[in-house]
Amino acid sequence: MSRYVLGVWIVLGELFCQSSICIAQSVDSELLVEKKADAEQFFRKQVTPFIKTYCLECHQNSRPTEAGLSFNPALDTPGHAAFSEKWKKSAARVNAHDMPPDSAKQPTEQEREMFLQWQHKVKYLSPKDPGAFIIRRLTKTEYGNTLRDLFGVDPSIANGLPEEVSGEGYLNSLSPLQLEQYLTIADNVLNRVLPIEEHPVRGIANSTEKDSLHASDTNGKLSSTPGTLDLSVFAEPPDSSEDGRVAVRKIALSLAKKVYRHPVSENELKVLLDVFALGKKNKLTYRGSLRLMLKAMLVSPQFLFITPADDFDTKTEIVPLDDYQLGSRLSYLLWGTMPDDELMSLAESGKLHESTTLKAQVKRMLEDSRSRALFDGFGAQWLGTGDLKTKMFDLTKFPEMTNELRTSMVEEVRLFFQSIVRENLGIVQFIESDYTFVNETLAGLYGLNEAIHGDAMRKVQLTDPNRGGILGMPGVLAATSFPNRTSPVKRGVWVLEQVLGDQVPSAPPDVPPLEKQDQQSVANLTLRERFELHRADATCANCHRLLDPIGFGLENYDAIGRWRDRDENGKPIDAAGELPNGSRFSNPRELKTMVAARLDDFSRNLVEKMLAYALCRKLEGYDEIVVDELMQDIAQDGYRMQTLVTAIVTSYSFTHRRTK
Amino acid sequence: MTKKITMDRRVCLKGVGIALALPLLDAMGWAEASEKSAYKPPVRLGFMYMPHGVIMDQFWPTDAESFLTSPPPALDSLRPVLDQCLMMKGIAGVPNGPFKGAPHALELSTWLTAALPNPDKRDVISISISADQIAANALGAFTTLPSLELATMPQTWKENQAGLNEAYYSHCSFRSPTQAVPAEINPRNVLDRLFQKREESNGQSSTGLSPLDRSMLDLVLSGARDLRRSLALTDQRKLDEYLDGVRSVERRIAAIEMRQKEAAMEKAGVRSSRRHDSDSPPIEIKIPEGDQRSEYMKVMCDLNVLAFQTDTTRVCTYIGSTPNGVSYPELGFKDQHHSTTHHNNDAEKVRKVAAITAFNIEQFAYMVKKMHSLREGDGTLLDNCIMMWGSGLEDGDRHTRENLPFIIAGKGGGSIKTGRFLPDVKGNQGDLLTTLLTCAGIPMDRPIGIATKQITEIPANA
Repeated sequence: MSRYVLGVWIVLGELFCQSSICIAQSVDSELLVEKKADAEQFFRKQVTPFIKTYCLECHQNSRPTEAGLSFNPALDTPGHAAFSEKWKKSAARVNAHDMPPDSAKQPTEQEREMFLQWQHKVKYLSPKDPGAFIIRRLTKTEYGNTLRDLFGVDPSIANGLPEEVSGEGYLNSLSPLQLEQYLTIADNVLNRVLPIEEHPVRGIANSTEKDSLHASDTNGKLSSTPGTLDLSVFAEPPDSSEDGRVAVRKIALSLAKKVYRHPVSENELKVLLDVFALGKKNKLTYRGSLRLMLKAMLVSPQFLFITPADDFDTKTEIVPLDDYQLGSRLSYLLWGTMPDDELMSLAESGKLHESTTLKAQVKRMLEDSRSRALFDGFGAQWLGTGDLKTKMFDLTKFPEMTNELRTSMVEEVRLFFQSIVRENLGIVQFIESDYTFVNETLAGLYGLNEAIHGDAMRKVQLTDPNRGGILGMPGVLAATSFPNRTSPVKRGVWVLEQVLGDQVPSAPPDVPPLEKQDQQSVANLTLRERFELHRADATCANCHRLLDPIGFGLENYDAIGRWRDRDENGKPIDAAGELPNGSRFSNPRELKTMVAARLDDFSRNLVEKMLAYALCRKLEGYDEIVVDELMQDIAQDGYRMQTLVTAIVTSYSFTHRRTK
Repeated sequence: MTKKITMDRRVCLKGVGIALALPLLDAMGWAEASEKSAYKPPVRLGFMYMPHGVIMDQFWPTDAESFLTSPPPALDSLRPVLDQCLMMKGIAGVPNGPFKGAPHALELSTWLTAALPNPDKRDVISISISADQIAANALGAFTTLPSLELATMPQTWKENQAGLNEAYYSHCSFRSPTQAVPAEINPRNVLDRLFQKREESNGQSSTGLSPLDRSMLDLVLSGARDLRRSLALTDQRKLDEYLDGVRSVERRIAAIEMRQKEAAMEKAGVRSSRRHDSDSPPIEIKIPEGDQRSEYMKVMCDLNVLAFQTDTTRVCTYIGSTPNGVSYPELGFKDQHHSTTHHNNDAEKVRKVAAITAFNIEQFAYMVKKMHSLREGDGTLLDNCIMMWGSGLEDGDRHTRENLPFIIAGKGGGSIKTGRFLPDVKGNQGDLLTTLLTCAGIPMDRPIGIATKQITEIPANA
């Protein structure tokens, strides 16, 4: 009786929940339908005449197409994903008064403003779509880390694989050479953890282990050696052949579940048992045959790629990720390695996708030391310090720029990023903060007077308001400099694109760089004066008007991030400037405050960059609507870092995939 | 006077079909080769790249007549083998089209494809299959490696000019329109790969690639096909790259087995058709200890030579450096290659660019001279090779591509007439690649990239 009552309650509860979701969804979609209709009308009445009047004469279907841009297809299907990037670029050029060219008829300021509006409306024409999700191969780093977690080997065992870029620009390709390397690496791993009895251990990864780039924090919570894979099953062959079959089956199921990161299907099991039989047929021992089976797992696509666990209903075009795939996606994003037991058991119970569970998991995972993978993979790319360790500087000008100093700079950026992530601080801290991390070498660069000794990085309070935050951080400032001098343009572009997410049109071809100015006539000018000369050209002025003030606002930092009041010719630094919107600043501190005031733009940019990294593709079309929604949640919670990451991993784009 | 012949697809196929027959028969008939049937060594194709162009008046020979007697300074290191070389001026690069702002992303990626990236899919790889990979598809079945890709720096430059994927900056080999082939930068790895260091004394290898692996991979392959059925279409394509990779490793294992059998027979006194007694023994490889750029570049050259000499592969692509600014402290200055090439005719910078160019050609000359010193069949190894050196820009200062610098070395098994400079060839990069592959006897079902014709002055029978 009581069971019956309970059952009714559950059914009622489900009905209730479902209908409330339905209501919420229909409100959402009604709003979207309205916005879509508005966007369509806006396009017809305003954008179309604008394009026909100002753009189409040059940018139409003809050969050669001017700058490869034709508006003809866009006039028919303005919401097509292939065009979303082009809308952004053309808005940026129209905004910069770079287009239409001076020789052509000019739109009014109101018309320009209208065209800018359009880039915020075009997204409503996109159908709801999580974007192309393609099964993804593990990157070199992820692959090495996964082997570490499975077998307790050093991740450097994968060092022979080609280097690659992860995230948005990830190639996700696989060459025969790589496949062959996977075979060899699998052998190396197995030789270490399951040496064949008759032979001494061979093929151990060479002596490069000590320079492993991804060794785990020594003071973190993680200690995963030995690996999580239970290899004791290899010990003794069972007595009878019947026992053997049962035992092998059991071993295959348990090992493959870990290695494939999802429960093993009948088909998958059959392949593995066939490999075992192949080993026996070729007179391998029981242990040798199991070893061959494990090797087969390590070169299977279920291990090398993040693949779906379930068959999907082929009639539905868009499906949620199954919990195992979601767990892998999450784990590789935040940890750069395979899901741990907790994630796996949440996937097994079917709870992982629930938003409260996901939220708690994100918190747990970000506080784990493995989350440094988020910096190594994403943070370093975003902040531009990925290449700093190997960047060459002119040592006659900057003899201080030793390996040690470069390494300390990168470490500072990493620890700073991690402190915001792990302590769940508001992301405004990235711009304005009163602490950083230094060691003795770096303290010298900062000119800190306190007694800081030794190589160990430690947290310090900053009193100088010009420092603190990424805009005044030596690693970032050095990464945006030339080997021998600062680059106000690079820094300006960096702030606009990487920090604020503005589109900066690329320089027109055949512009003479600064070095080409007549050397004698400019010899006595400051860098700023030379830039102003350069900007006298109207085609340059439009963009440099945006870039240069920001870059010059950071001129008090030299090419390796040291504070200076005078440039190398002894002339005083003039760090004052004005942004196109009229706001003025006179030093880096004020510039920082102005950037921090654009917190909405900054956080939106960070969300977009991280979402693109998480999805391993460029954002387009419907993604923008997804980001709009995320931004509301994030703003409500004071722009905290963990909230931002949670928003991304619970987003529609991250948790769904197309099946066609 | 240059003759323009528009290439008819069918004629092209017919011609190369016959040319292909020879190496094919040779390769298949290795065991039954009689004493009498003369073995003709296969033709090998090599490509070596330098970014950022040259100083034109120090690179181009003055005229056809003085080419051999007083070559320009950039070619100094090639003097002893100039009669083995062919140079031509008038090969135009692929026009930049919509990618005006991306000269350096284009210079390398278009070099062997003779085609532009797809402007609608800039953020992913979408370009044509490259000439070296077309060659590898045709010749790869005869050797343990279908092709070898070498480079001297990591291919992970993070700059996307004109929105183009980063990989366009650092890759020139494309296995398919969507798949860039990574190059090996560690000489030790290459050596291991060429010679299967992990073999055991009894010929059975329990590590590395073994016949058992081949059967194991067969089973894995069947499992992957099951997986494929449950995937969406785009995912299936991605998995196809994997399946393709597995099959090619299987083929490679089969080729290794064949080689082992052959070696065993040779030991037992059965003469192999592949080698003459007078052939030079395989060269020795010394992996350099220091970090001198010249030594690094030379050991990669040596590996290329060894791979060709032992017929381990017949196609090798060597990216001497990618367009992201390596520097040459050995030459007495630390300037980055790229920034130096924007010289604006500054005498000091021009001198440096010329020195860098000469340095790169010197490495190429080292490789070619070595090939020329090795006996093979009735001639030298170089006689049976077509080695192409070049850059994807003519003038790095202005990013021009109208007259791309190329040096061809080797007679391609008698198909190419060397010792010449052709001052006025009218053609493009695609024409040149198509012609070279035809000379190497490679069947093609269509011209490469923007090609419209063969360059008739290149072949020996012209």
